[in-house]
Amino acid sequence: MTSASINSGGRVFAVALALAGWFVKFVAVVLVIATFNFILVHAAPGDPAQVIAGQSGASDEKLLAQLRAEYGLDKPYPIQLANYLKRVVTLDLGYSYRQQRTVASLILERLPATLLLTATAFTLALLSGIILGTLAGVRAGKWSDTLLTIVSLLLYATPVFWLGLMLVLLFSVQLDWLPAFGYVTIGVPMTTLQRMGDIGMHLILPAVSLAAVYLAIYTRLMRSSVLDVTHQDFIKTAKAKGLKQGRIIIRHILRNAMLPIVTVAGMQAGALVGGAVVIETVFAWPGLGRLIYDALLQRDYPVLLGVFLVMSVIVIALNLLTDTIYRVIDPRVSVRAAS
Amino acid sequence: MTDKTLLAIENVSISLPPGADRPFAIEGVSLTVNRNEIVCLVGESGSGKSMTAHAILRLLPDRTGVAQGSISFNGNDIAKADEPTMRKLRGGAISMIFQEPLSALNPLARVGQQIAESIITHTKPAPSREAVDARVQELIRGVGLPDPVALARSFPFQLSGGQRQRIMIAMAMANNPALLLADEPTTALDVTTQKQILALVKKLQAERGMGVLLITHDFGVVADVADRVVVMRNGRVVEQGTVDEVLRNPKDDYTKSLIAAVPGARSLTRTDRKITGEPLLDAVGLNKTFITKQGMFLPPRRTDAVQNISLGLKARETVAIVGESGSGKSTLGRLIMRLIEPDTGSVHFGGKDLLSQRGERLRQMRRKIQIVFQDPFAALDPRQKVGDAIAGGPIAYGTPAKEAMADAKRLLARVGLQESAASRYPHEFSGGQRQRICIARALALKPSVLVADEAVSALDVSVQAQVLQLLAELREEMNLAMIFITHDLRVAAEIADRIVVMRRGEIVEQGETQMIFQNPSDAYTRALLDAIPGRAMFAGPGARQAEAASA
Repeated sequence: MTSASINSGGRVFAVALALAGWFVKFVAVVLVIATFNFILVHAAPGDPAQVIAGQSGASDEKLLAQLRAEYGLDKPYPIQLANYLKRVVTLDLGYSYRQQRTVASLILERLPATLLLTATAFTLALLSGIILGTLAGVRAGKWSDTLLTIVSLLLYATPVFWLGLMLVLLFSVQLDWLPAFGYVTIGVPMTTLQRMGDIGMHLILPAVSLAAVYLAIYTRLMRSSVLDVTHQDFIKTAKAKGLKQGRIIIRHILRNAMLPIVTVAGMQAGALVGGAVVIETVFAWPGLGRLIYDALLQRDYPVLLGVFLVMSVIVIALNLLTDTIYRVIDPRVSVRAAS
Repeated sequence: MTDKTLLAIENVSISLPPGADRPFAIEGVSLTVNRNEIVCLVGESGSGKSMTAHAILRLLPDRTGVAQGSISFNGNDIAKADEPTMRKLRGGAISMIFQEPLSALNPLARVGQQIAESIITHTKPAPSREAVDARVQELIRGVGLPDPVALARSFPFQLSGGQRQRIMIAMAMANNPALLLADEPTTALDVTTQKQILALVKKLQAERGMGVLLITHDFGVVADVADRVVVMRNGRVVEQGTVDEVLRNPKDDYTKSLIAAVPGARSLTRTDRKITGEPLLDAVGLNKTFITKQGMFLPPRRTDAVQNISLGLKARETVAIVGESGSGKSTLGRLIMRLIEPDTGSVHFGGKDLLSQRGERLRQMRRKIQIVFQDPFAALDPRQKVGDAIAGGPIAYGTPAKEAMADAKRLLARVGLQESAASRYPHEFSGGQRQRICIARALALKPSVLVADEAVSALDVSVQAQVLQLLAELREEMNLAMIFITHDLRVAAEIADRIVVMRRGEIVEQGETQMIFQNPSDAYTRALLDAIPGRAMFAGPGARQAEAASA
């Protein structure tokens, strides 16, 4: 056997080992998060059995006890927790006693809307932030930089719900260009293409409102990062090579300046999924945010726990994605992480 | 101007933005570079030598510019040429290499791409990919690097300092420039690499008949490569002439002082320092292996940084540990101080086992061994006043704050600064002054051992000489034993009683300083001696000693 084949065999093994190691970590983190979620939710005052009983109009002790027994609420917390974790491991998210449906089906119904909204808002914020920040950075000190700085500070300081309402007032009420709320126009027969266009129109206002704050952050961050990179030696090298300013910006400044953005954006992408609650409420967007809100009011523990769990899995997945992107952009990362 | 003249700078002044400490960065500077010659531009930091070179390609910092004078290249005045003309020159007929090859390369792009970029920019119509790749490999081979195909695919961080600088040179050679501007190209490299890079520049210059303007602060380098020399101080040219005229018969006092500052130019007036007795610090059989993970999918890499090294240091003795980057000399210094733990081996300090000490007793022992680092800019907290930085140590060991601050002021005065420096911040000081502050900080704890880790390597030659002088005085006053880590044998010769030469984690040779210089027994030591810049001109301490011995 040649040394090369030993190496490649060793490499496959190393990859398998690394992936297995990552999976074990992933499961461990999810279980820890699930435990925290459980404790948090049960620390909140309120009793689901009473809420259900209250809904049905009766509240005698016998019914309550019966309900508690039925849903396992009469057992001590550690046993409830163990049962819950057991279900998490088998990917069973439970059953909502309020809605009389499985939690998984509830979440699956709402998840696409939230993902669509947050992914659009995130992409919008990231792309415009990078572009605007770069423009401001390379024109630092000029009037266009000052203007961009003022606008981004204004956006940053504006409360999300207020911005949402103002956008509705302007674009829906006054100009009548865009729908004010909802996900899709109800009661109108549409082809698939028309439906997509309709959802797109509904998407614009909530996505812009949600993106605003993040756009401001990325613009500021990108601006300072671009300024920082501009003064580094290799930019002088690029200039000494005779490159045009445009090429220097695209080939040498942008990629280096994006490293801090990737770090911050990676952390915020997760927060964005959870942070959409307000916007979903303002625009009556049928996403996970609304689902949590309703579940919270109704002490619908299984739904709450289910949504939390799905979100934490999304956050972990996004973190992994960020790490991967970082590795692709910056070849030094794996070395640096080890030293 | 003759037709031999490639570059003529005449009466050039560069204005600084309003509010700077002076109106001009350089004033009335005139110099010429002919085809097929190397002109060295010499001066200390802040003398304006770098600004002069940058002005040629108009790469000056924002808000500075050529206020008057003419810069003519090949007979055309380029001081007022438009941007497209300048872009064509940059990297085309005139190219430039810089001091720090790591930061001068884009960290995220493969070096082959970075060289290719230079070719593509200056070739119309755009060449085919194959042609560019072939040219890149030819260039990489041309600067003496092995395996061009693999190397072109490397990222800068995967290369050594010398390799990076070769890549920079390959990039500069991409379009067969007539003039090469080299801004301190070897200052960040160790002595052996410096020698190779200078030889490469000289070889390329001779092969191509290039004109080279080489900026340096080291007259040793000048002696090795220059045809002509221009000396600058405070933005003005103080002297210029052929290398022989200037080196053998300097007219200006400043030039004389710069030449005198070259380590090895001075005779070794060392009296026997009468070092006897048991070792104060005794390290036996030290081993340290670093295991670096190479990311998820690669097996970890083992580096045997220090292998089975024993080293004794007597009271008041100065031992220099000499070696190239990566020889393990800094690791050894840290092991001896127990800043890192050895894998095996023992360190005894004053008869006590340093490695088994814990808690308060370790703390008391640490106090006795202090360190001065290489980079005086990174070694001081930019938001801490100098006085607080110096007094901080003694206060941590129980000295009342008032007393510690008074001591700090005394120390500042002793290392050659104003007492008022105590209430100022590090950024207000020059590199040499900061290194003096770092020395004061280390000495505030009244140590008996001082570890100087490349403590003068980042300094100009002239400042280096002053700091070495200071250290030599202080060790007598405070009865200091010193471990002096350096890559430069010249510097070691200035201060060390004994020299230990390290290579790849092992000691290859050790002995009295004079013995090492006169009778180096190891081939590697001889290579290091040979790499001393300006050895032919300045003879070097070894040769001087030999003369004295034979006389």
